[in-house]
Amino acid sequence: MKKVLIGGIGNVLLGDDGVGPYLVQLLLSRYEFDDGVEVLDLGTPALDLIDQISRKDVVILIDSVDTDAAPGTVLLYRKDEIMQRRPSVRMDPHSPALVDTLLSAELFGVAPVNLLLVGIAAESYEPSCSLSKPVEASLDPAIVEILSELDRNSIAYRLREYPVALEAWWVDSRRTESPRIVHCTTA
Amino acid sequence: MAKRITIDPITRIEGHLRIDVEVENNAVSNAWASCTMWRGIEKILRGRDPRDAWLFTQRFCGVCTTVHAMASVRSVEDALKLEVPLNAQYIRNLILIAHALHDHIVHFYQLSALDWVDILQIPKADPAATQKLAESISPWTRNSRNEFKAAQDRVNAVAASGQLGIFMNGYWGHPAMRLSPDVNLLAFTHYIQALEYQRKALQVVALLGSKTPHIQNLTVGGVANAIDLDSANALNMDRLEMIRVLLDEVVQFIHQVYFVDVCAVAAMYPEWFKIGSGVRNYLAVPDLPLDSAGSSYDLPGGYIMDGNIAGTRPFKTASDKVFRDSVSEDVTHAYYQGKPLHPWSGETEPQFTGWDGEQKYSWVKAPRFNGQPMQVGPLAQILVGFAQGHPLTVKYATQAISNVQAVGGVRVTPDMLHSTLGRHAARAIRASMLAELAQKHLQLLTDNIAKGDYTVHNQPVFPSHEVEGVGTHEAPRGTLSHWIVIKDEKIKNYQAVVPSTWNASPRDASGAHGPYEASLLHTPLARPEEPLEVLRTVHSFDPCMACACHAFDPSGKQIAKAKVL
Repeated sequence: MKKVLIGGIGNVLLGDDGVGPYLVQLLLSRYEFDDGVEVLDLGTPALDLIDQISRKDVVILIDSVDTDAAPGTVLLYRKDEIMQRRPSVRMDPHSPALVDTLLSAELFGVAPVNLLLVGIAAESYEPSCSLSKPVEASLDPAIVEILSELDRNSIAYRLREYPVALEAWWVDSRRTESPRIVHCTTA
Repeated sequence: MAKRITIDPITRIEGHLRIDVEVENNAVSNAWASCTMWRGIEKILRGRDPRDAWLFTQRFCGVCTTVHAMASVRSVEDALKLEVPLNAQYIRNLILIAHALHDHIVHFYQLSALDWVDILQIPKADPAATQKLAESISPWTRNSRNEFKAAQDRVNAVAASGQLGIFMNGYWGHPAMRLSPDVNLLAFTHYIQALEYQRKALQVVALLGSKTPHIQNLTVGGVANAIDLDSANALNMDRLEMIRVLLDEVVQFIHQVYFVDVCAVAAMYPEWFKIGSGVRNYLAVPDLPLDSAGSSYDLPGGYIMDGNIAGTRPFKTASDKVFRDSVSEDVTHAYYQGKPLHPWSGETEPQFTGWDGEQKYSWVKAPRFNGQPMQVGPLAQILVGFAQGHPLTVKYATQAISNVQAVGGVRVTPDMLHSTLGRHAARAIRASMLAELAQKHLQLLTDNIAKGDYTVHNQPVFPSHEVEGVGTHEAPRGTLSHWIVIKDEKIKNYQAVVPSTWNASPRDASGAHGPYEASLLHTPLARPEEPLEVLRTVHSFDPCMACACHAFDPSGKQIAKAKVL
């Protein structure tokens, strides 16, 4: 049995930066996975990420990326490419953690065999609990990339007949004027 | 001629601290600490249900999620004058302690040890000699020749590959690096082992908080942990035993490795007990409540002005009136509009001007206590406790002083604690105290449950009139306070004054430096273009800007750049 992590990284209070944790919720709501597959909202774990990725066969991380690409573009980065970056150079708010983490895991001999970063080009990091329209439109294409990576590694998953309700955090409480991510109720 | 050096970013974890220093005659003559990101997350909280606030605040930072969750529920409880059942206090205390132990281990080994340890010396070490040295200072059973040899092999492999990887940014071979090859190997081996023990501490947080990051078990008025000795799904004796086993291992690592290593490294760099002092006003709040009302605590609080330790003023409670009345935030040199305000009436209205050392230069506000800058963190915690004769503080502080003397023949006086190494030593002392208290609070919880008390929650009742509260926590980096104003069961205002805001604060209206800035003045630099000494002092505060500021800056491709003014 392969040990797999699908981890969403990002701060759910900073607009599009929440896309990683949000995609994790969508995946959990729509799909069932093989034993051995962990699907986790990691928040912004910095070096704690070492624990999460260590000794895994396959790691898929989902994060917002700050690039020149149009907002909502889905970009893929492989382990080698990430590790070639200088530890302190940032390609998004958390990449120091990601690069440092991978390099540390490598030094400790616990780095994952296979790692893919599914990056989603962000439009806005302004404090807010909702995603921008372009990033919202990227959710399904990003899921396709995540599932393709599972396919490439022969890891099984299954579409649920009925979507599972999301955790309370992700559902619009309707009690306030600035709702949380409202569209998740329609997932 | 003065030379300006900019270091950006300085934290090795998420965060965007920028340090500018001016150097004259190879010593720092002026310093600015700034945060390159704008903070405005508190605005999201306005209008929301106060019972939900902690779910949002624990997302302020990905590293210290629990501390913001805890300060938030405490702020609402303070506003409502709501007591917390004993079980809930103990469970919360255990989570806070486990988080702090994790944080202190990570800080020393992953984030600052390599300021003192020269990786490139390790190939010259002799694992057998390292073992002999290690055995002379600690009973740690993993100080074996095999472990040292394995660690050395890893460094050799990295060196042979020509790819320094994680070590790419170190100032290796810097003249300020002075440990012998064997001591370098000893510390590096523990750097590798530390990874396992910080993970065990996090497992304790997850066992009690149901997951980490982002614990799920808090609620205003207590915790949501079901206690049932007959249920496999609740907090039962099996689970308490799992926690005990994990804590015992972490405690042993703290006492036999971390504490010993800090003392040993300190003994080899005695001059750093005289560098990095800065602001000698200290602030710490009491924590680890021992009763439902929060009237007695295991850790003392208080404040010290101008280094006058004998004149320490204690705080009676975690929301002491003196503390409540004395905090304000100045924005003269921060990118915000407005005048100094108390956090309950605090505003967060941005006014970005670009970096200007004479005017506005940081997204961090300048918190002040009775108008004065305050240093927070383990050093403040230890000095405030020591001054009050707090037995646990005195026990480990005395042990640290005698360890440093035994290893390096260095006589450490209390005055030398106002320094870069003083902050590292204080953190190791604090961690050792917390380790002991972890076992105590687990026992308190177990005993209380054994008595048949399963209560974990008191129901909050919201008055219709406006109420104010402050929730504090003496977090790993120092005093954290969340300030809330509630009206009609909704949040009217919310401000978080976080430890790194106190320490990284910019100048205020009177021109007084914040603690980072003040600590850097007069620091000698062996090679100004490689400002290792600046890193040592700033890292000694354990900087983490993620909660002090938020958002994002795409710049900062270089660690340090120097220019002649």
